[in-house]
Amino acid sequence: MSSTPDEALRAAVLAAFASDRRLAAANLRVGAANGLVHLAGRVGTPAERMAAEEIAGQLPDVRGVVNRIEAPGAPSPARIVQLTPQGDRLDED
Amino acid sequence: MMDVLNEVRHFAALPAAAKAALARIAAPCRFDAGQVIYLEGEPAETLYILERGWVKATRMSPEGREQATLVLKAGEIFGDVAVYTDSPYPCTVIALEAVEVWAVDKAAMLDLIARYPELAVAVIRRLGERVLHYVGLVEDLSLRSVEARLASTLLKHAGVSGGRLVVHRRTWTTFDEMAARLGTVRDVLSRALKTLEDEGLLRVGRHEIAILDPRGLAARGHTPIDTT
Repeated sequence: MSSTPDEALRAAVLAAFASDRRLAAANLRVGAANGLVHLAGRVGTPAERMAAEEIAGQLPDVRGVVNRIEAPGAPSPARIVQLTPQGDRLDED
Repeated sequence: MMDVLNEVRHFAALPAAAKAALARIAAPCRFDAGQVIYLEGEPAETLYILERGWVKATRMSPEGREQATLVLKAGEIFGDVAVYTDSPYPCTVIALEAVEVWAVDKAAMLDLIARYPELAVAVIRRLGERVLHYVGLVEDLSLRSVEARLASTLLKHAGVSGGRLVVHRRTWTTFDEMAARLGTVRDVLSRALKTLEDEGLLRVGRHEIAILDPRGLAARGHTPIDTT
């Protein structure tokens, strides 16, 4: 059975986390809906939390990231997600 | 587990054997305030029965704006729609305070439904009620102004305390939560509250919102969106 775009997106995010030494053992939870990636779980530092957001946000077809990962001093997730204009990334060096 | 099942609408009347079978497949879990129970777009492998505390179900619109869809209290079931439709969770559920839930595995629940027709009927009734809730929400968002939605929602959650009609802020948590629930943003909500306060309908306090004119607030709850 073929997967939906959101299922493929979720699999890509999980694979990216699994191959990152900072996040591989964190067992972060990932959801994907309408091209938005939702993250949860717990990491040890704000830097790891931000790394997860950046890794997910840089994947193709990700329109935005809702970061609900717990970390010491982590802010509450924004209620409005900054959407990535699709296609702009292609123009970047 | 049996105690909370007796609090769940339509499940309380289930035969004892069905309730006992459900209790056997449920596992207790605890979540702290702010913890995610499940995420929008995650595969739905579990449904939850809320025993203690409040949780919020929230969904991101395709435009990236958060919309709280439901605030649930003890005795409610959540995650069930995705489990029964074999789809990912349609929203994110977050504990608003320390909560205790019973987690029920999808396959085990579907097996129980096949074995107990009374359980299947209870599930159908609950899902039917959920449909009616969303019909009301659609009507709210499309036909009524923020002030009207705020007015009727405040009245729905008001209770008598010390001889006054009040909405305790704990139930609402924060202005952001309230705004998300009403399908708007904090600034618009603040203006709506101030409008109703200026009209003498309510008074916003630090820990509670006092309803000064319930009749007037009820009338405001029926104000349609001004399209002029």
